[in-house]
Amino acid sequence: MGKVIVITSGKGGVGKTTSTANLGTALAMLDKTVVIVDADVGLRNLDVVMGLESRVVYTSMDVIEKRCELSKALVKDRRVENLMLLAASQRNRKDDIRPEQMQDICEKLKEDYDFVLIDSPAGIEQGFHNAAAGADEAIIVTTPDLSAIRDADRIIGLLQNEGIEPINLVINRLSATLVRKGNMISKNDVLDILNIDLLGVIPEDTGVIASTNRGVPLVHTERSPGAEAYMRIARRMTGQRVPIPDMREDSFLDQIANWFSKKK
Amino acid sequence: MDNTIVKLRGYKDGLHLIINPKVSLKEVETAIHELLSEMNQSLSGTSIQIDMMTTPLTSDDLKELETHLTKSYDLVVSGVNVLDEKDESPILAAPTTHSISEELSLDTPMHVENAQVVRQTIRSGQTTSCLTGSVILYGDVNPGGEVIASGDIVVLGALRGSAHAGANGRLSSVIIAMDLVPLQLQIGTYVNRPPLGQKPRGYPEIARVGAEDIIIVEEFIKF
Ligand SMILES: Nc1ncnc2c1ncn2[C@@H]1O[C@H](COP(=O)(O)OP(=O)(O)O)[C@@H](O)[C@H]1O
Ligand SMILES: [Mg+2]
Repeated sequence: MGKVIVITSGKGGVGKTTSTANLGTALAMLDKTVVIVDADVGLRNLDVVMGLESRVVYTSMDVIEKRCELSKALVKDRRVENLMLLAASQRNRKDDIRPEQMQDICEKLKEDYDFVLIDSPAGIEQGFHNAAAGADEAIIVTTPDLSAIRDADRIIGLLQNEGIEPINLVINRLSATLVRKGNMISKNDVLDILNIDLLGVIPEDTGVIASTNRGVPLVHTERSPGAEAYMRIARRMTGQRVPIPDMREDSFLDQIANWFSKKK
Repeated sequence: MDNTIVKLRGYKDGLHLIINPKVSLKEVETAIHELLSEMNQSLSGTSIQIDMMTTPLTSDDLKELETHLTKSYDLVVSGVNVLDEKDESPILAAPTTHSISEELSLDTPMHVENAQVVRQTIRSGQTTSCLTGSVILYGDVNPGGEVIASGDIVVLGALRGSAHAGANGRLSSVIIAMDLVPLQLQIGTYVNRPPLGQKPRGYPEIARVGAEDIIIVEEFIKF
């Protein structure tokens, strides 16, 4: 029996889809069986990021409306074994699906797969509730800016009300340089507010945009800081103990620099 | 300061007879006689509580006063509240222009105040409220989160969101937090919006309505 993890944020554009694609791929590379589910009905793009757009024949809507079997709707990834995608319908709206229907799909998928990752839409409405309906656990993705953190906080409260636990945090697009200059909220400040366990930090990485456009998740690229960060998170998700390296924001020199700037 | 020896006030829990400190039993009795004979309405059978700021009367005096109130005015003394100096609300200790604050502190004998204990982080979009007393929170109040109390609010964590103490109008209510960096504070109808981007000062702080009818914030040391 696997587990269902919803990847969500509240705010749009913070990296939910990027994280779902990369973590799904990374877990499959670690020999886990994985399904990534696009729950962003009406605005599907997980298939695009995965480079699987042309292979999508059926969507979760077809499964719900019994036009096809669940197993038949799953699209096999082009590059890694054990990785499947369940696409979202583009013709439907988010409230065309009910939470019980999503829950049903999740229950069935986790019987056969180790990880079921749900790419949640932005917002706190029906689409979010559908995405979270079948989830055992959650990963919150936030960028280090106040509005994203505020929305993440709101979502954490809602997930806690649903009894979803654990809820872990991924901080995306952190730039050590900006933090050092005092122009970006630091990892510790984000953690201080959100007060949940940190699963990992993804640096700002121009490789992400390039990989999005090519339809090849970043984790296929070696020696990219973003890819390495996603691989570390995936290993943590499989239960390995992998330390979270300090990004230079907390280095010894920075502490001294910080100390001086506080004195002023 | 008001120099009347006795005052009669009706509060939510009934009639209170408020006795000024530093007077003798004789003076109190005379004052009560004046007060009650002035009223053209009989208080016969009414239950009443006696409030004193400090103990001006000995326990023997008090007994005699109770007997006197029962015999002469047919009142039922249901309680005696002695408000020690240390129980005074901080508002009284501060310079203030509130002529009503003295009464308000008597309004709520501090000994038996209701408090709701909350062990949770109040996150954005969440509200915790207690309209029958104070809130004690073991956790943070995040931006977009809100705590409302008719009494005081004590946050044993960081207050980054909003807090509204004295929501029923009790201006002597206070807001205390380990880290007080709120988006907005409200006490009664007074609102305070601290400048944005404040950093925690590293010590607990208290917000209360001070002189000039504004919410003042200062280091919290003790009540
Ligand atoms: N770590 C990163 N570094 C640089 N760009 C990123 C990073 N993560 C995401 N992006 C970019 O941000 C945009 C939004 O990401 P996406 O995953 O679609 O967000 P969401 O699904 O939360 O709306 C995309 O263009 C993506 O390439
Ligand atoms: Mg998305």
